[in-house]
Amino acid sequence: MTKIFKLLALVALCWALSACFEEPLYHSQSYVFGTLVDVTIYGENNDRANYLANHVFQEFQNLHNRLHAWKPVSENHLSEIGQLNAAFAAGKTPIAISPDLAKMLLEISKLSEKSDNLFNPSIGKLIAAWGFQRDELTPVHIDATQIHTLVQANPRMMDMVVTDNSAYSNNQALKLDLGGYAKGYALDIAATYLRQQGVKNALINIGGNVIALGKHGDKPWRVGIQHPRKPVAMATLELGDGWAIGTSGDYQRYFMINGQRYCHIIDPRTGYPSQHMQSVTVLVPPQATNQSQAGVLSDVVTKPIFIAGAAQSSRMAQAFGIEDYMLVDDQSHIMLSKTMARKIHWSDASVQYTTLP
Amino acid sequence: MFNIRRSLSASSFRHYQQYFLPGDFVVLLSAILGVLYLFHTLWSSEQATKVQIRLDDKIYATYSLNQTREVHVQGKLGESVINIAQGKVRFVKSPCQGQYCVHQAWLSHAGQSAICLPNQVSLELLGATKPYDSLNY
Repeated sequence: MTKIFKLLALVALCWALSACFEEPLYHSQSYVFGTLVDVTIYGENNDRANYLANHVFQEFQNLHNRLHAWKPVSENHLSEIGQLNAAFAAGKTPIAISPDLAKMLLEISKLSEKSDNLFNPSIGKLIAAWGFQRDELTPVHIDATQIHTLVQANPRMMDMVVTDNSAYSNNQALKLDLGGYAKGYALDIAATYLRQQGVKNALINIGGNVIALGKHGDKPWRVGIQHPRKPVAMATLELGDGWAIGTSGDYQRYFMINGQRYCHIIDPRTGYPSQHMQSVTVLVPPQATNQSQAGVLSDVVTKPIFIAGAAQSSRMAQAFGIEDYMLVDDQSHIMLSKTMARKIHWSDASVQYTTLP
Repeated sequence: MFNIRRSLSASSFRHYQQYFLPGDFVVLLSAILGVLYLFHTLWSSEQATKVQIRLDDKIYATYSLNQTREVHVQGKLGESVINIAQGKVRFVKSPCQGQYCVHQAWLSHAGQSAICLPNQVSLELLGATKPYDSLNY
């Protein structure tokens, strides 16, 4: 009898302890940058985590308003990028810009150059021509002449002249669209802010781009990688402290015409959406402070690899110092770097893939 | 049970045979295999048990997947209709243009999700274990 009593006492104790040690995991979600943003914080009390996450969402909203390529902040009030684009279209008169925007533009120019201009956020006119500067996508009438003219105008980031507080463009066709940069930049801003606030462990996800701080308790954070054609995660991997992961795919923003898929990633050389890849994923380690940060790289580097194609992928990844990357081509073949192959855990054990040299 | 353990560690194989008959091994083996089988099907296949529906930045509702139910959620654009059907769930109607959420079709595994960005309605499948903390897409 005493034995049973002891056993019951033990069970009760375990239950009480588990209630005390309920995981200090906070999770919050919001819609910013036209996509879903998730903030997960581990190890802070709920009220503080809630306060910090709300601050992060607020900063994201401010960035979104400032950097938006086509939406004015309010009626008669363009976003900072909108004002800049209006000035570029008008001529070569320099316009005043905020110092942090100047920094961003200089960084983007550098990254664009590294990518042989395949990452080219100055082709806003092409992006608009394909109907991707809208919240809801519908098939557009493809105007080959217009596309040809826009490609001939050849806008490049290096056409822009940026000082600490002003900018102008030597090319009137230059129209900025920071859609391939802003979310990554926002990841870095959030990671820096949370660290400054003493947060050790957090996971931030902006529209699929993820950055990690610390761990999920005693285990590393684990991230699933979306299959480009099925509603499942094709694999998972651990995201270490300060690491970021980004994917560019043809399955989130696209439209179909006659069974042909037109995605939002446009090859600046042809003016047409890139069609030889389903997705490109890069895993980015923490970077030195004087360089582009992990969040920015996770957003940016996938684009030139997507456009350059499998044959050029390792050269392109190398240009940005990226070792871990994965491609899914238009035939659904999976290719990945050797280092990535070691880090990835496949959801389907019988998956077929090739490792890239 | 404790007596068997004690005698096992203390004594020889012959001693241990006094307690364990060949038939017992069969029972033990089938018990172990049974547990492994159940663990595999109920645990590691990550079959979802619940669906969490979010509207904007709030949790709208969490439902068991073990039922047949139609859920109507009033989103930013209009009404999203979500079907729960014995272990699986999907968007069946949405006021959005793209209809990506509806094209996602049936979801049944823990960690799967479908998001309707225009209507700001999302659903996430929950299971006993979470296969990952966040999804990269």
